[in-house]
Amino acid sequence: MATISADERGALRDSVRRLLADHSAEADVRRAMETEAGYDAELWRRLAEMGLAGLVIEEDFGGAGAGPLELELVMEEAGAALLCSPLLASGVLAAELLRALGDEEAKTRLLPGIAAGTAIATVALTGDAGTWTPEGVAVTAAGGPGDWRLEGVASYVMHGQNADVLLVLANASDGLGVFEVDPAAAGVAIAALPTFDHTLRLARISFEGAPASKLKAAGPVWDAVQQALNLALVGLSGEQAGGARRVLDFTVDYAKARIQFGRAIGSFQAIKHMASDLLLESESAISAARNAARALAEDAPDAEAAISLAAFACAEAFSLTTATSIQMHGGIAFTWAHPAHLYLRRARADAQLFGPPAYYRERYIQQLGG
Amino acid sequence: MDDAAPLAPASDDQIRDEVAGWLKANWDPSVLTSAQAGRGEAYRAWIAKVVEARWAAPRWPVEWFGRGLSNEQARIVEREFARVGAPGTGQDRTQLYANTLLAKGTEALKAKLIGPILRGEIVMCLLYSEPGAGSDLAGVRTRAELDGDHYVVNGQKVWTSTAATADYGMLIARTNWDVPKHQGLSFFFLPMKQPGVEVRPLRQITDESHFNEVFLTDAIVPAENLLGELGQGWSVLQTALAYERSVMGEGARGPRSGVAEAAGEEPLIALAREAGVLADPMLRQDIARVIAYKKLNALNTARAKADLAQGTSSPVMSLGKLAMSRILHEEARLRTAILGAASLLEGPDHPRAEDANFLTLNAYFTSIGGGTDQIQRNIIGERVLGLPKEPEVDRDVPFREVRGG
Repeated sequence: MATISADERGALRDSVRRLLADHSAEADVRRAMETEAGYDAELWRRLAEMGLAGLVIEEDFGGAGAGPLELELVMEEAGAALLCSPLLASGVLAAELLRALGDEEAKTRLLPGIAAGTAIATVALTGDAGTWTPEGVAVTAAGGPGDWRLEGVASYVMHGQNADVLLVLANASDGLGVFEVDPAAAGVAIAALPTFDHTLRLARISFEGAPASKLKAAGPVWDAVQQALNLALVGLSGEQAGGARRVLDFTVDYAKARIQFGRAIGSFQAIKHMASDLLLESESAISAARNAARALAEDAPDAEAAISLAAFACAEAFSLTTATSIQMHGGIAFTWAHPAHLYLRRARADAQLFGPPAYYRERYIQQLGG
Repeated sequence: MDDAAPLAPASDDQIRDEVAGWLKANWDPSVLTSAQAGRGEAYRAWIAKVVEARWAAPRWPVEWFGRGLSNEQARIVEREFARVGAPGTGQDRTQLYANTLLAKGTEALKAKLIGPILRGEIVMCLLYSEPGAGSDLAGVRTRAELDGDHYVVNGQKVWTSTAATADYGMLIARTNWDVPKHQGLSFFFLPMKQPGVEVRPLRQITDESHFNEVFLTDAIVPAENLLGELGQGWSVLQTALAYERSVMGEGARGPRSGVAEAAGEEPLIALAREAGVLADPMLRQDIARVIAYKKLNALNTARAKADLAQGTSSPVMSLGKLAMSRILHEEARLRTAILGAASLLEGPDHPRAEDANFLTLNAYFTSIGGGTDQIQRNIIGERVLGLPKEPEVDRDVPFREVRGG
């Protein structure tokens, strides 16, 4: 991994913030979420140009060679701006799974396109149960080298309908494997799922004798999947923390500007106390997300616990902040035209994307020895 | 100190070498392990030695026991003391009374009391809150009236710890009733050992007595014991409160039984294991949630300190007290849930119940003491988030016309 200084990280944050202020403002987000793909291809190209599509991909494969710290801070900005993009699905989850598996041929073939943003990859892991564990895998693989065939269903696949490359978890007679599938192949049926969060794209994919090639795995397959999930969770935590803080900021601004009873509503303790509580939640989320990024970057012994903590703390902070924000705004935020519900939708989606807060709390207490 | 000679500027390494050398020559760890550890003669003698050597308050000017060190260099001194476990330095950061006195006291009072305070020779207390002035501290009604070369003080103070043994109390009292409430206050060092001062212990809900009521009846304060200008007491108080807040949050007490749960394990997990309920899925969620509150607060504090070290202030600093309140109340609730019926009991035979029950009550020490959580939310909303204040109906009215009660 390239060594990136604190100053360079600050510059990275600033440039991402500027780009998103210009191209992922509320109107841009609303436009993108109404498109079929769910993201603005031109903005995605710009992000790729900045090196963000391949932010955490090694430089040898055309990436920026950055790590969890940089990913987390970019995702804080992405969450604040409600960025619509396949970054988490393609540049993080799929790319990190390829790296973790260590199939050199596949990395050489696939990662440069992912890093350049010209190819969208995604990971199909869970089935209709939606659990992000080995037990959640509902696809089976039969056949053998040169002639693998997949059967079953994968669901909640991020950007499945936009993908050029599918990395599918499937159980074969010799255990769990990751299979590369061409989305256009016969026997692959991809159905876009209607999502409550309109800025998110999910698909359900049916496999009926779909041809697949098995990726080599240098170690246990689930370990590689977990490594990819860990990085994706750090990114997601950053998105949640950044989103929560942005929502608090515009809510506080509104509380200063909105006059009722001849006073700014923010002067009422009922509103002020809600805002103070949300500051604690959103700042705690930022601490948790950055701590998880640090622990993962350092490969610290408590990294897994730090990630679990961030997963549930950031999910709940974002959810609470967006929900409370609507109440603090009053009627204006009950309208479609106000952005508060867009963040609420994103928060609710993020809180389920890789498993719910309760799942990560249980994982956390186990990691602490309980 | 009148024998102060200016000290030559020193590099970080020189400071480190000097303090390390001095500690090597002078520090005797038995000071802390002797029978009278903490309050004994050996301890006092050690602190006096630290003061004499100008290590007690190295940030302070040389004429007042200090060395005029920068904050960074003073931290070096503190780290060297901490390395060998020696107490006594860092008083320029933590000694509320001495800092307030240095900042606002008359030359005569400083010369008389700063040394003894640093050396721990005199005991101090705070005479702030009153039965009628809790959250609204500027509404105090204790009066101080000038009579020749001294003030005569009448009124009642409350929530005063160490009042029974104190030599002086930092007193906020009203000296002008014809101006709005913040403008008519003055700040004094009140001698406590006099007939006009009566101290009565308060029995707390924990059945402990850490605090007192103090009744002031024609108590006398020499005029030289006024800190700041007459009528400027509110601003002196803000100085004092700032020092107090800067060391708060380190002192919150947890369970009191002292009967250790399994070493090395998260105490709440150990307690649930011991109680045989660790498999309960709802309690597991609850335990993870409360441990997370603690961990998040620690992470916030670490982040605030890192920001501070880089010279940027952090909004996170002000959140610690609110976070700590929640941690304590939630841990108390959870400990009670884990224990179930056992929490009905108390006494030395039931240490786990003692812990849960004590914490349940003592959590209010943090959520009420030093400003209630509700006042803290106002402060965060106004000073950190910049929200407008509530209109104050008594702000610009002569205090004489303000409602009390």
